[in-house]
Amino acid sequence: MRNRRLVLWTAALAGYAFLYVPLVIVIAYSFNNSRLNAEWVGFTLQWYDTLFHDENMLVAAGNSLAIALVASLVSTVLGTAAGVAMYRYPARLLSVLVLAPIAIPEILMGVSLLIFFVLLNFTLGLVSVALAHIAFCIGFVAIVVRARLAGMDETLTEAARDCGASPWNTFRYITLPLIMPGVIAGALMAFTLSIDDFVITFFTAGAGTVTLPLQIYSMIKIAVTPEVNAVSSLLMLLTLALIILASKISPTLLRSE
Amino acid sequence: MTRIIALLASLLVAAPVLAKDAFHLYNWNNYIAPETIKRFEDFCKCDVVQTYYSDNEELLAKLAAGAKGYDMLVPTSNAVQALIKGGQLKPIDKSQLTNLKNINPIYLDTAFDPGNKYSVPYAMSTTIIGYNDQKMKELGLPTDTWAVIFDPKYLEKVKGRVTVLDSSSELFAAALKYLGYSANDVDPKHWDEAAALIKKAKPYWAAFNASSYIKELTVGNIWLVHGYSNDIFQANLDAKAAGRPFQILQGMPKEGAVLAVDNMVIHKDAPRPDLALKFMNFMLEGKNSSELTNLIGSGNPNMDAVKYIKPEILKNPAIFPDKAVEAKLEQLKDLTGPQRRLRNKLWTEIKAGR
Amino acid sequence: MSVVAARTGSRLGRWLVSGPPTLYLIVFFAVPSLIMVLASFRTPGEFGGLAPLVEEGKLDLNLESYARFFSESVYAQIFLKSFWYALLTTLLCLALAYPLASLIARSSKRYRDLLLLLVILPFWSNFLIRVYAWMIILGPNAALAKTVNGVLAWFGHEPVPLLFSAFAVLVCLVYVHLPFMVLPLYANLEKHDLALLDAAQDLGANAWQRFWRITFPLSLPGVYAGAALVFIPAFGIFAIPDILGGPDDSLIGNVIKQQFLETRDWPFGSVLSIVLTVTALVLAGLAAWVARRNLGAPSSAKESRA
Repeated sequence: MRNRRLVLWTAALAGYAFLYVPLVIVIAYSFNNSRLNAEWVGFTLQWYDTLFHDENMLVAAGNSLAIALVASLVSTVLGTAAGVAMYRYPARLLSVLVLAPIAIPEILMGVSLLIFFVLLNFTLGLVSVALAHIAFCIGFVAIVVRARLAGMDETLTEAARDCGASPWNTFRYITLPLIMPGVIAGALMAFTLSIDDFVITFFTAGAGTVTLPLQIYSMIKIAVTPEVNAVSSLLMLLTLALIILASKISPTLLRSE
Repeated sequence: MTRIIALLASLLVAAPVLAKDAFHLYNWNNYIAPETIKRFEDFCKCDVVQTYYSDNEELLAKLAAGAKGYDMLVPTSNAVQALIKGGQLKPIDKSQLTNLKNINPIYLDTAFDPGNKYSVPYAMSTTIIGYNDQKMKELGLPTDTWAVIFDPKYLEKVKGRVTVLDSSSELFAAALKYLGYSANDVDPKHWDEAAALIKKAKPYWAAFNASSYIKELTVGNIWLVHGYSNDIFQANLDAKAAGRPFQILQGMPKEGAVLAVDNMVIHKDAPRPDLALKFMNFMLEGKNSSELTNLIGSGNPNMDAVKYIKPEILKNPAIFPDKAVEAKLEQLKDLTGPQRRLRNKLWTEIKAGR
Repeated sequence: MSVVAARTGSRLGRWLVSGPPTLYLIVFFAVPSLIMVLASFRTPGEFGGLAPLVEEGKLDLNLESYARFFSESVYAQIFLKSFWYALLTTLLCLALAYPLASLIARSSKRYRDLLLLLVILPFWSNFLIRVYAWMIILGPNAALAKTVNGVLAWFGHEPVPLLFSAFAVLVCLVYVHLPFMVLPLYANLEKHDLALLDAAQDLGANAWQRFWRITFPLSLPGVYAGAALVFIPAFGIFAIPDILGGPDDSLIGNVIKQQFLETRDWPFGSVLSIVLTVTALVLAGLAAWVARRNLGAPSSAKESRA
């Protein structure tokens, strides 16, 4: 018994190490006294100072956060609905519609959405980017929710219906708590995808819209300075804080009993 | 700190409505000095809203799909050619450009924009060789010829320590120049020769890289690159700042190289072409134009800027080449559709290792 | 399941649930994509983009771009290479993610959410920085490369570059896609009833048997979901080979990107993209079909009742 747990723990810890060694470098290098993200030279706080005076970078970070929050919220709602629909009903069209945005090359989706928005005379800006992000995030949520639903015990829902509960109440009090880990997993993935998207955002952003990835990628040919490490570290911290705050405010919402 | 909170709060209102006039500049990142922007904002009493691209092709793709809202763009000459032919640009009212006389005439009235109806030169760079001077001396390699990038007898000594640009037009241009042809040669037989040359040299190269090679050069992982003069200039500054024992120097190949002139143009659907013209004229002033050169070591077509440029930059032959070298520099021309397709087929085969 | 659906699924309920996502995806995905599907039959514009659809009163549609794809075998070759990279990435992700997801699923509720967040936290930093961090780790002068090459030197082997190589691309691919395998696996493993395992142990099953005959089959939906969310995006990726790939590591995503940018041949880019999408969807469909056939083990009380 103890051996098995030890093996599991070691393997899992190796996984965490794999995830975190690069992150430690990212955070450490935000204090690096060198313009390049290549070698450790010395300790400095200058990049955080630069960041707090860099309006463009801060606006870009704010835009990214706002878009990611909206996109992950909407795509989680729509994706959960899609996942439930794919599980309950034979939804062939929906299955394809949900999977295809994941498969299609981002550059194709970006160009096609741009052409689409231009045809509709839709002004490009934060909204166009959010709409695009939702489109490719829905699939991720739907697939996870559907996988969570697979093999779910239907007796509970049947019992609820037999007791006279409406479909909505059945969903809200029985199904939703049961699939909540899947919904949360999907929401986390959607948020991650949105906050880091470059290609689709590049094509659907308006003339004054900058998100963090756009700002950072444009620096790729000159130098991605440690200021970027600084803004990334702070963004991670901020997001973590937001989530912890949200879970404190509505503990029952996120817990799955 | 309160500024930041106010900033983030105002984002919730989404739409980028600015109280002052807004001038939308779509430019390469770090291709204008911050002081210059500030001075222009004071001068025109407007806000400069910058968005960035890192490649001409990104700009072309976005505009071809119909993107709007930009006033001024800063494409390289071959991209200007494509934009003019695609009807994407607004003609310039030259009567408002009082400072146009500052530009060196050899950069005006070019083949891709006769009479400068649409464009005005902004800054230049060359695509040359960058190298770690310590390593090159150690290994006894020449630094003034493309042979060191293409010839296996030199490449053997630097195997795995060389990168080339990930751009078919730039690499083919270098190969064609090395073979003695023009960089704009479109003869398929010559292209086959160039492709063969590249394939022979490829096993010795570490990567096709247009983004992180400068970093690797400065750190000392890579010793020799095919790269842009601005980037190499910057790498040397970084190497000095990091206290490295070597310098990163620019090598102008004797067979010639590609000259990239970036130009200011106005998009046909520009919301504020008047501000764009103001900006153009502003940047044609020597002092304003010099600030970019002093910042990133870019070439400068503005004669009036010379007196404001740092002397060590003026003396650098890769940034301000003498007449003999200038004669060997060529600007890239845009290719026709079928030519682009053939070039891409050859490029894909090279990349696929066939 | 159909019995349940007949009882619980009224027509209105069905439209309310499947309607909004379907509608959204039709408007913001299907329609724009159809524009590009149409583009694959058109001629490239001389200076970029597309040539006019109606040329001299005639509809200008052709199969040229498709013919090009099928006649030049280099594209199929690159497709195959991308397939192998994506497959390897998926398998490696699965191997790494399974212990992680198991650990999180089995943790007490107090720590579970935190552990889950810890998995995804690194991915809220910018992609580029993370790749640069890997360039530092894999650099020729860093500890890892020196150790590996030191060992190789022992055996008289030439030093091997860790950076700008297929190895670097794979490591980064696995790294970037790992959370998309961990999260679906976790969502599935979390609901496993440990009582089943206890019962099996009481009946004499050892640890490996418990895993292979109970846990793994029950987790298959999660495995397939994770595999889909890793394989499909990895199939079309281009950024990682661009930044730290070697000269031979160009993948189909890079070729597609070139069509839209350098070559400005949108029809051909669309053709490649369509082939990529269709291949990925077909593979996903195949995997789902295999999964349905393999799901013979009772996966719920309801099925075992039947």
